[in-house]
Amino acid sequence: MNDGTVVSVQALHTRLGGTDVLRGVDFSVERGQVLAIVGPSGSGKTTLLRALNYLTPFTGGEVAIAGYRLRPGMSERRDATLLRTIRRRVGMVFQSFHLFPHMTAAGNVMEAPRHVLGLDPAHARARAAALLERVGLASHADVHPHTLSGGQQQRVAIARALAMEPDVLLLDEPTSALDPRLVGEVLAVVADLAAGGQTMIIVTHEITFARRVAHHVVVLAEGSIAERGTPAEVLDRPRTAATRALLGMP
Amino acid sequence: MLALVLCVLIYRAHTAAADDGLARAHARGTLRWGADIQGGEPYAFQDPHDRTRIIGFEVDIADALARRLGLRAEFVQNDWLTLVPSLERGDFDVILNGLEVTPARRARIAFTRPYYRFTETLVVRGDAPAVHGLTDLHGQRVGTLGGSLAFDLLKDTPGIEAVLYEGVEEPYIDLEEGRLAAVLLDNIIATRYGLTRPALRMAGTVGEGAYAIGVRRDEPDLLRAVDLALAGMIDDGELRTILTRWQLWDERQSTLGAALTLGTEPVGGAHLTLTHIALFLRATGFTVVISTLAMALAVAGGLLLSIARRSGGRCARAAVATYIEVFRGTPVLLQLYVLYYGLASVLRLSAFTAAVAGLGLNYAAYEAELYRAGIEAIPVGQTEAALSLGMSHALTLRRIVLPQAFRVALPGIANDFIALLKDSSLVSVITVVELTKQMTITAVDVRGWLIPGVLCATLYLALSYPLSRLARRLEQRLTPATA
Repeated sequence: MNDGTVVSVQALHTRLGGTDVLRGVDFSVERGQVLAIVGPSGSGKTTLLRALNYLTPFTGGEVAIAGYRLRPGMSERRDATLLRTIRRRVGMVFQSFHLFPHMTAAGNVMEAPRHVLGLDPAHARARAAALLERVGLASHADVHPHTLSGGQQQRVAIARALAMEPDVLLLDEPTSALDPRLVGEVLAVVADLAAGGQTMIIVTHEITFARRVAHHVVVLAEGSIAERGTPAEVLDRPRTAATRALLGMP
Repeated sequence: MLALVLCVLIYRAHTAAADDGLARAHARGTLRWGADIQGGEPYAFQDPHDRTRIIGFEVDIADALARRLGLRAEFVQNDWLTLVPSLERGDFDVILNGLEVTPARRARIAFTRPYYRFTETLVVRGDAPAVHGLTDLHGQRVGTLGGSLAFDLLKDTPGIEAVLYEGVEEPYIDLEEGRLAAVLLDNIIATRYGLTRPALRMAGTVGEGAYAIGVRRDEPDLLRAVDLALAGMIDDGELRTILTRWQLWDERQSTLGAALTLGTEPVGGAHLTLTHIALFLRATGFTVVISTLAMALAVAGGLLLSIARRSGGRCARAAVATYIEVFRGTPVLLQLYVLYYGLASVLRLSAFTAAVAGLGLNYAAYEAELYRAGIEAIPVGQTEAALSLGMSHALTLRRIVLPQAFRVALPGIANDFIALLKDSSLVSVITVVELTKQMTITAVDVRGWLIPGVLCATLYLALSYPLSRLARRLEQRLTPATA
């Protein structure tokens, strides 16, 4: 892995409940780049993304991420320190937000800086305020998540992940749980991050968005990469039947 | 609801008050006599060789009396402290169970001539400095049975703290363990339960009294019949034979022949006084303090248990599961007994400490289950989100999972607090005078259960009602947060 590579995945294999969910996946992401992973439901997109911070363990291959290596058979208990170190460097945004309901928006964002990085409260609060401002929610800092719309909650979740200043941000279908009219505000934030040079891997169904924001696109089908390339190559001139089916082309 | 209960109580009191007790006994063919087998040997107790049989010198007396009346004796088990109100309710015809003739009792029920004369025997530890009478025990704790003549004597001696027990073994255990300076009880009990312990010795006798058979006041025919039958037993030596067989005969008993004397006695003169109210408030304070400390222990202990079960190894998990099953699966009353008396030789807890610890350890098992349910109600996504931020498992538990689980568990905890408040009445078995115990003591004093009972209930409600309001509000507040 050279200096510019933030994520490198080799021969990644995951077997869950007797099924091969991932069957040898390779890719890498350079610093400042955005990789979009697209594919039909059940193709292994989410499993792949969750392998990158080991929330879902993998059974074969190797992941190098943010300067550390993940191997098959690691354990939450035994390898707790390494996993914690990696997860500090790798942000994650979930499909259904998973905000902490007992904390305010600002509380959610400052939680990890405060208690994982050990920042003093004033410093952590300032960082939270700046990030909420960046996702357009400066005026909602002191409200609890259940009073926010889905789009607002997801923007808080993005701010929360960014608060750790991650080397790479993983987004797992960030707009799939949203009312269609709220999708735009979240995608706008992600596009803004991309423009700012944030390294990201985003699993998405929003093909138009992927075409506009991603530097590279990977098409996953039945646990393998069916096709890869720039958005223009993959999405405008698909070579495989899997991609054409995904794009609704004949 | 309360009014309904009162109506039923008053109605029952009146229906029981019929003046044909002897005729009813004959119609039934049995003389029903009330006693408590917990009083132990030699009164009326389970035959150690055949647990289905009740034996004792009072069983023999009851059989002989019934035979002389042309009836069959029928034993009715009843808690010793409530023998008098149960008699008044009509649960049985007579009381025959070491019931001492006292002015307070004579004001409520009628007595036959005595069938046994006893002395109050003061027992101390063998190594105790010279103690000859109650005056030597100023500022000390002296154990006895609630509702007994000995308790009246202790109560009337200034500077002595009377500690109340419900069984005859327990005061002597506590005396051996140093929790008491002395025990004052009838000589029968002292001889059989106290002086059999090598560490204890007799310090002297303090007053004397007599056991007689109690009969409802409005049944003079039954009273006369039973009294004459007893006189017959004294005259022809049958009572002496029975007492000799149970090794109870001594010189004092030769005066038993004296006829029944119905002296002039105060009737219904006892009222609830300000002193009673003050004692009630003090007992309420004890209930509040014990419940609050026990609940604090339970909340903290339950938390430790649930953390050990979630994060501990296989052994820790098995230990927690065992703890919870044992403490939830056995009565608190039993746990209090074991903690206070059973472990007395290795762990000498004060009654207050044992009360708080016993209730707290028991409720900790319930709180642990509430936390578990609370923790399980928190979506796994919460843990994943925390881990993905680089939080450790311990930090995730402390900052993310437990605060949410605690909110889920909070209404249940408030409900448990209400239950604990009421369960705290059980600690009276280990000599702590809390609200319910104060009620039973006052009931004996004022010769009635209704007013002390209503007062006691009112005080419990005053404590639990705000808590139940709080529990309901917490439940409501929780609903939108989880939605």
